[in-house]
Amino acid sequence: MQNIMKFLVCTVLLPVLLLCGCQQQNKSDAGQDAGAEARPAFLQIGAFSVHRISDTRTEVRDGAGRTLVLIPREASLPADCDPRQVVRTPVRRVAAYGYFDVATLRMLGVLDEVLVGVTVPEKEWAGCSLDIAQGMREGRIAYLGEASSIDFERLKQMEPDLVLTWDPSSLPLLDDLKIPAVITSTPEATCLSARMRYVQFLAPFFGREKEADAYFARVDAALKDIRARTAGAGEQPKVMWGDIYEKRVLIEPGNAWVGELVGLAQSSYQFSDVFGTSCIEISVERFLYSGETADIFFTYRTRDSGATSKAAIARMNPLIKDIAPLNRGKVYAPLPCYIQSMDRLDEILTEISAILHPDLYPGHVLQYFEDLPDTDPPQDKDSRL
Amino acid sequence: MRLVARIWKALGSMNLTIVLCLLLAAVVVWGYLAINWRTALFIPLNDMGLLAWMKTYGRYNLNHTGWFFVLLLLLVLLALNTVSCTLERVWQLVVGRSSFSFFRLAVKLGPHVMHVAVLVMLLGYLTSYLYTEVVVSAVLLPGRSYTLPGKSGVITFTEFRHQLYQGERLAVFQGEVIQPQAALLLSDKNGQHEAMLGFNRPVRLGGYSIHLDNFAPKKPGGMRLNQRIDLHIRKDPGLVLYMTGIGLFCLGLGLYMLDGRIYRKPRQ
Repeated sequence: MQNIMKFLVCTVLLPVLLLCGCQQQNKSDAGQDAGAEARPAFLQIGAFSVHRISDTRTEVRDGAGRTLVLIPREASLPADCDPRQVVRTPVRRVAAYGYFDVATLRMLGVLDEVLVGVTVPEKEWAGCSLDIAQGMREGRIAYLGEASSIDFERLKQMEPDLVLTWDPSSLPLLDDLKIPAVITSTPEATCLSARMRYVQFLAPFFGREKEADAYFARVDAALKDIRARTAGAGEQPKVMWGDIYEKRVLIEPGNAWVGELVGLAQSSYQFSDVFGTSCIEISVERFLYSGETADIFFTYRTRDSGATSKAAIARMNPLIKDIAPLNRGKVYAPLPCYIQSMDRLDEILTEISAILHPDLYPGHVLQYFEDLPDTDPPQDKDSRL
Repeated sequence: MRLVARIWKALGSMNLTIVLCLLLAAVVVWGYLAINWRTALFIPLNDMGLLAWMKTYGRYNLNHTGWFFVLLLLLVLLALNTVSCTLERVWQLVVGRSSFSFFRLAVKLGPHVMHVAVLVMLLGYLTSYLYTEVVVSAVLLPGRSYTLPGKSGVITFTEFRHQLYQGERLAVFQGEVIQPQAALLLSDKNGQHEAMLGFNRPVRLGGYSIHLDNFAPKKPGGMRLNQRIDLHIRKDPGLVLYMTGIGLFCLGLGLYMLDGRIYRKPRQ
């Protein structure tokens, strides 16, 4: 038996120690590299990944698990992959489906140079994203139609080098047009780390790794500040995030970045046991059960979609009129700029933390959410006229 | 030579088997926790191959993937232990074959056939993870086709048929597609034929197995999504080995049961 133990120590433990040694070596390399402005060869960001094979080849994995090969514009086509997988970098013209992708281009500082198409009309950008509205007026950025019915002729005219899309059904048509695409959505909700690091996934497409690292450092610093400030918070408010649409209850699951942030800011997320995709559907009963004890309710609805007061929400959804936040707690609705401002994730995270612990953030002025009043203010006669 | 003999003997030891099994159980618990904690790290193992995974996700996240390397090592040791143990016992049977009839000898080999079967199955898994050719997320719209690698066949998505949930008990699923089925037209050098693809109901074409990975829309009249199916296509050379392993295991089990039924005396 003693011999067997010796044998096992040699064959199992030594390789494990060696592996750990390798990891330590990698860590120390990374430390040295940071000084030399080099980056780790492999980076996993939720379902996305970036693998730097060499100076002239980087392989990335998108949200659908597809591998794309990034090569410099002047390099010859690699023989070991399908030409449809190849993206020439730096990318110069991009069409983007989602708000978050547009915001990521802004984070990288390339929005004005590269964005040529969006799926949201100009009037919706006008309030918060003046740069895009301006670009659309000047004809640099085209409205491509709604995401589910893109005008592919218009898209072709804009000659994008790359399309950032959440919709896999556009892939066959983009393949026909020989336009490479990145699927930016994932089957599961994006966790907080992936949300913060997503910019590092898109950075190699534009050669903007430094900007991505700086952005990540900024958000990371905000998160550390939230941890430090809320560490001694006495009361843990109970939070729910979602809404009801025609008897369909949609919420952010516990694995979503908002769920993780709430937990990290010394608060209790009522759906922390729910796992899955963002905007996941749950039963009305579950929503009502969590609503009985919740203190704060973040609704998906904006003022434009009827969230003007707690009473208005209760009128729209009589099913939830008895949940605690609508009666004794607080309800917050996103302001129009919230969804277009993900390039200021550090500010958004801080604002959510300030909502959860207002006593720890004295004087904080809300920029991305509004605290809904109990009832709508009475309309005067003039405004009714 | 004596050292080799000693190592060989130690490798075939029953004590080693017990220790390895206990260690395997502990590592599997560690793995269970790691997979639950960081699922996203292990999903790519299904399509990118073991070596590529080890060089990327595995190597750069050792805190969460270390257990997998230890598991592989323990499985290799268990395989060596099984080979050594089995060969030794089979050799003894072969040497003493004159004292048994051929049938008795065959029946006595039953447990060893089962051991070999497990090794063949493990080898099948290893082959799968090393050599499977995978096409991730091939998206098809109605009326459109996808050509398999090497032009070994063409898949055309002709129609989407589905069954909606009409029950009362699970209100969340009311009106949702619960049994998606895609009608495909499969063409290869042997001609064309129709096939129905569904979850857990793959179809085969040109040596590839075609699996339904996802579909949209999940609910007619819900979010405005275009109709599509996402396919996961793979050519898995390990499949033959699993099947062979399962066949061998059944044979070994049959022989072992015959041994018990015919030759072993019931205990008094």
